[in-house]
Amino acid sequence: MKIDIKQIFEGEDSIFIRYKQETPTIKRIVSILENEDNKLWGRADGENVAVSYEDILYLESVDDKVFAYTTDKVLKIDGSLNSFMSANDDDSFFRCSKSMIINVNRVVALKSLSSNRIDATMESGEHIMISRRYASDFRRLLKGGR
Amino acid sequence: MKNENKLTLWERYLTNEIGIEFKACLYFFAILFFYCVYRIVNGSFDASILHMTEMIFCCYIIGYIQVFIFNNFDEADKLHTREILGLIICTALYILVSYLGRWFNRQMLVTGLFLAYILLTYICVIVIYRSKRRIDDKKLNEELRLFQTEHKKNDKKID
Repeated sequence: MKIDIKQIFEGEDSIFIRYKQETPTIKRIVSILENEDNKLWGRADGENVAVSYEDILYLESVDDKVFAYTTDKVLKIDGSLNSFMSANDDDSFFRCSKSMIINVNRVVALKSLSSNRIDATMESGEHIMISRRYASDFRRLLKGGR
Repeated sequence: MKNENKLTLWERYLTNEIGIEFKACLYFFAILFFYCVYRIVNGSFDASILHMTEMIFCCYIIGYIQVFIFNNFDEADKLHTREILGLIICTALYILVSYLGRWFNRQMLVTGLFLAYILLTYICVIVIYRSKRRIDDKKLNEELRLFQTEHKKNDKKID
């Protein structure tokens, strides 16, 4: 693909895309330009798929692979849970255990358990455990501090 | 990069230890109350230091058994077979030590009452922890709703 970048000193910034066929790469570029960085890209069923951050229920790390779960999709994403948390400063994503991050805005109910653990019921009906190590930080987050 | 959230081995040990110490104190005071009532009813206003030492050691050791063998049954979310077995075995251990240590002069009636008292104490502790968690549930869910509402407001402002 030929890339032509030109700096201008007057007028509005503009980007032209010329293509013969709308490939996944072209789709991805267009989507990034239209939605800025408000989407998470990953692979599902061998295709590049983007989901809005707000649609993500939780992220899980399994055998060094990271998966993002929405109500109807499972995406394999690049990077680690730590890199996701560093790149995303949205406080609705909370690291709830060594292998999971939950979207607090998609939690429907919380249940206090013994040993200071918390059970979070997600919109999909799944139960995610907030371990003792992270429970006090979670309580702090709900109270408005991080 | 060191994870600041990660508890050190020492901190984990301390958390367990404090929980067991708390348990030992709780059950020691409950047993001591029963023991004092027994002594007063029998016309004695003294408590044996040896008996009290036995009580605190007994509570401490049974605290370890409760936590490490029987899933901390008095704080459990649900009582399954293991937890119920723990409740029975720990009660039996208290009764055995009280009998061997002559806390109640091996009187069968008082020992029987002590058994009922220990079971009642356990049931009370289980109920108290459950109530505490139920109150905590309400508080957590209120805070969650507030967090989500605030978050939506902030998102609208940004839009």
